[in-house]
Amino acid sequence: MTSPGAQGGGALATRGGATAKRMKWALELSLGNSSRNRGDRQSKDGDVMYPVGYSDKPVPDTSVQEADRNLVEKRCWDVALGPLKQIPMNLFIMYMSGNTISIFPIMMVCMMAWRPIQALMSMSATFKLLESSSQQWLQGLVYLVGNLLGSALAIYKCQSMGLLPTHSSDWLAFIEPPQRLEIMGGGMVM
Amino acid sequence: MAWLVVRLAISVSLLYTASAVFEDQVGKFDWRQQFIGKVRFALFDTHSQASKKLLVATDKNVFASLNSRTGDLFWRHVDKTGPEGHIDVLLMYGQDAVVVVGNGRLLRSWETTVGGLKWETVLDTGSFQAATLVGVQDYVKHVAVLKKSAISLHDLSSGSQIWVENLPDSDTVQYQTIYSGGNGLVFVLGVVPNSHIVIVEYKIEDGEIMNKKSVEAAWMSSLENSCTVISSGILLCADQITQSLYTLPLQSAEQKEMRQIHLQTLDLEVASGFQPVLTSTRPNPAQPPLSEFFLQLSPDHHILLQLKDGLIAPLRDFNPSYLAAFATSGERTVAAVMSPKNDTACSINLFSADTGRRHLDTTIIYHMDPNGGKPNRLYVHAFLKKDDSVGYRVMVQTEDHTLTFLQQPGRVVWMREEALADVVTMEMVDLPFTGTQAELEGEFGKKADGLLPMVLKRLSSQFILLQAWLAHLWKLFYDARKPRSSVKNEVTIDILSRDEFNLQKMMVMVTASGKLFGIDSKSGTILWKQYLENIQPNSVFKLIVQRTTAHFPHPPQCTLLIKDKDTGLGSLYVFNPIFGKKSQISVPALPRPVLQTLLLPVIDQDYAKVLLLIDDQYKVTAFPSTKNVLQQLQDTASSIFFYLVDSSQGKLSGFRLRKDLSTELIWEVVIPAEVQKIVAVKGKRANEHVHSQGRVMGDRSVLYKYLNPNLLAVITESTDTHQERSFVGIFLIDGVTGRIVHEAVQRKARGPVHFVHSENWVVYVYWNSKFRRNEFSVLELFEGAELYNSTVFSSLDRPHPPQVLQQSYIFPAPISTLEATLTEKGITSRHLLVGLPSGNILSLPKMFLDPRRPEVVSEQSREENLIPYAPEMPIREEWFINYNQTVSRVRGIYTAPSGLESTCLVVAYGLDIYQTRVFPSKQFDVLKDDYDYVLISSVLFGLFFATMISKRLAEVKLLNRAWR
Repeated sequence: MTSPGAQGGGALATRGGATAKRMKWALELSLGNSSRNRGDRQSKDGDVMYPVGYSDKPVPDTSVQEADRNLVEKRCWDVALGPLKQIPMNLFIMYMSGNTISIFPIMMVCMMAWRPIQALMSMSATFKLLESSSQQWLQGLVYLVGNLLGSALAIYKCQSMGLLPTHSSDWLAFIEPPQRLEIMGGGMVM
Repeated sequence: MAWLVVRLAISVSLLYTASAVFEDQVGKFDWRQQFIGKVRFALFDTHSQASKKLLVATDKNVFASLNSRTGDLFWRHVDKTGPEGHIDVLLMYGQDAVVVVGNGRLLRSWETTVGGLKWETVLDTGSFQAATLVGVQDYVKHVAVLKKSAISLHDLSSGSQIWVENLPDSDTVQYQTIYSGGNGLVFVLGVVPNSHIVIVEYKIEDGEIMNKKSVEAAWMSSLENSCTVISSGILLCADQITQSLYTLPLQSAEQKEMRQIHLQTLDLEVASGFQPVLTSTRPNPAQPPLSEFFLQLSPDHHILLQLKDGLIAPLRDFNPSYLAAFATSGERTVAAVMSPKNDTACSINLFSADTGRRHLDTTIIYHMDPNGGKPNRLYVHAFLKKDDSVGYRVMVQTEDHTLTFLQQPGRVVWMREEALADVVTMEMVDLPFTGTQAELEGEFGKKADGLLPMVLKRLSSQFILLQAWLAHLWKLFYDARKPRSSVKNEVTIDILSRDEFNLQKMMVMVTASGKLFGIDSKSGTILWKQYLENIQPNSVFKLIVQRTTAHFPHPPQCTLLIKDKDTGLGSLYVFNPIFGKKSQISVPALPRPVLQTLLLPVIDQDYAKVLLLIDDQYKVTAFPSTKNVLQQLQDTASSIFFYLVDSSQGKLSGFRLRKDLSTELIWEVVIPAEVQKIVAVKGKRANEHVHSQGRVMGDRSVLYKYLNPNLLAVITESTDTHQERSFVGIFLIDGVTGRIVHEAVQRKARGPVHFVHSENWVVYVYWNSKFRRNEFSVLELFEGAELYNSTVFSSLDRPHPPQVLQQSYIFPAPISTLEATLTEKGITSRHLLVGLPSGNILSLPKMFLDPRRPEVVSEQSREENLIPYAPEMPIREEWFINYNQTVSRVRGIYTAPSGLESTCLVVAYGLDIYQTRVFPSKQFDVLKDDYDYVLISSVLFGLFFATMISKRLAEVKLLNRAWR
């Protein structure tokens, strides 16, 4: 939608760059002429003088067409299915990184766990994105499920790496020593 | 391959535990003090004027040389303990010191400058009586040794035996003394009690009997105590009953009777019941003794007498006088006499021996330590001054085994506290806060009385803190200006305060002589000492800390229970462990023999823990016994139990306290004394904390420890000592219920057994008589995968027996003592401290003594960091916590937690005392000593400035680019 203007600006800049060889700066007022000599000739001829920024190409129609509706729908599904599509990739990374606790697997797991959580936190933004779609609720649900699956996968990875405090040994340090009920002492007869 | 893995695992595990002191850490937090024991013989080296040597032989079988200027040891030889190494006599001639060891077993000659052994001869059997140097024509060439039935003569330079002769009629005559006057003859003097004296004359060259005679002496029972030889071979004896002196020339053949001289004729009288003591002197062993001698008539009355032409004449009467001694320098012999000056001081004066005239300006004032014992020996070192007058120094030995070296006019040159060579028990007590800290502490202790006063109080204490801080800064500044050498780290009781991590503590040591010491654990300085008089030599001591320093403003309080073994009666001595002062608290009288004590966690209103004393009728006395305490005791009586172990009857009995402070017997276990004897019983230490309640398995489940605080480990040894049938037994008994939790028997084993009982394990060491080696055995108790009751522990409600695991290992050295490290919270891994007879202290990781060490390595055991089982226990030199500072005859190791979880304070005591710190899991909570503060801070500052500068540069660059 803004591309024609940008094209014009670009032409202006390149031409300015080309002319920089001889003079510090120059404003080319004519458009579409590749040759400077010809432009000079044309201006000498004096047939057309266009204002700055004028393009004689037709501007494309940017209003939403009926055909684009499908495109939007598709785009929204892309967004909704994104997390699900990542799962095979994650599985592969999980498999490759192994269960040893070292810096890289930990970083992987952190990334894997953090991304779904981040996505779930910004659910409202995603919903806004999906607003234009007719299957907004379904897509939202799929997106949610995908992210939940992703985080479940991360938790599973943590579990297999032994990072989850699921064993009794993980809570051992918090057990208080039992209080003794009897007081006892004595020894050999002195 | 598997073997390789095992070795790798071991080496990796060693990597974690290997820890030794770095060279620059030597002496930084450890110290050693060497002692010799109670001095029995002391000789000054008078060989040359400049000599600083003082040779001593002690009751601890130590032969040493001291520097008489500083009191330090030049060298020290520690012989075997017991009668085998007992030093019978010490003789000195020139550079040689001749010693008879082990009741006449060995004759040794030592070179005194470096302490090297010149020669050693094994003597014939027979109990030792006397030894003397034998001189011929002004030179000493021989040493004669008198045994019960034989006399032998040895060459002084080589030790070779020249001759040995049996003594005539040795079954009836008690030969006791030997004398040689330097004229080629050796006289052996024997006595038939209450009948006659026998004198046998031997020729030095070949041991031929020249003459033998007997002289009537019906009044005499023993030669040793009452007789001496003076002048040119005249035997002089004193008798208390007839109140007379007797003389007899040894060489004269005609005199058949001793000449009696009544003391009354000299206007003297022996105190009733006092055995008179004669002291003669012999400046040169090759020549006869002098004719002057001291006669002690009563404990504080000496008289200097002279024998001239067969007549005894008094030269000078010293009344009162405590001690008297002769000393010789060159040709001049002097006598030093200690007389009382006033209540706290004695004066020592020098007198000429031949005339009894007092030397001018020779007074030494000896100040008696009010907390010490009375002087009982005097050793004099006389020397010639430049103006040819006689100067002298004295060494005073007191009842509490203290040696004090004095010079004129009473300056104490050095002092040795030899009582510390026999430490019986000790405790470490936290030091108090400084005054300011205590002030702050006290503020929180006070009762709240309104908002404004509280604020004011807070402000005032803050102001005091500020003041103290400024004073501290000023002191730092002031000290920094002084040269380094003059800033001495003198530790006195006044500046003593707790350090940041509570690493410095007060060591309260109780010695066998009854002297108590307070020693600063950081420097080893003796801060206070207290001699308790009238302590029987075989008393039993028990030291109890009743109140720690934590209860400001109440002073800390220690109680020492002293029990006399003979009468069985005990007494309590209550004192402040920081200042050593006797407490004013009234102590309960103990009319009946005390059997045991029990320190309760119950405290009275003054925060002192209650001590229960059980007498032989099983009645209990509480100390302190205020109303409050008695009320508390009545409330908790049903949960107070105690046990008594009677080793002679092989009986263990448990009692429960009743409300009226009597007791009832609730259980009894009898271990037949005919078969096995109970040698030791140990419970757990009261101040021990166990952080982890279980052990994590390889599959991440938990194996819970069986942490029974009432568990007792009882060690028995078989009465049959035959190597095939002897055994060592261990019983784990619950002290409340009497239930035998576990028992194990080690066959073909015998003691002595050393053991440690802590947490859920018992480690014990015994001698395996089959394989002839020392073995370690470890027992660990577990509850299993579930805790029966995780909130309270009651011995009365334990339905399930624990799982017991055991493993044994070979230890390649004999051991002297065993102890375990102790830390504040029990998080740090435990090490065992093993005192070796070599004097080293080995810090052995408990990890090596783990009955779960697998024989076959598995994934799970590797996960658990278990070292694969290997029967041999390694000893690595870097595990010796005392590097080359060996502790002779280490008898006990005391461990105490410090304020740092990683650090455990260790004191090893025996003949020497060694104090250090150990870090079983390394210093995980402290920055290392060599931590580079300068580098780290300079890097930090450097980075900070670099960021600032580069930020500025980046800004400039951006601006420039924008302008382009």
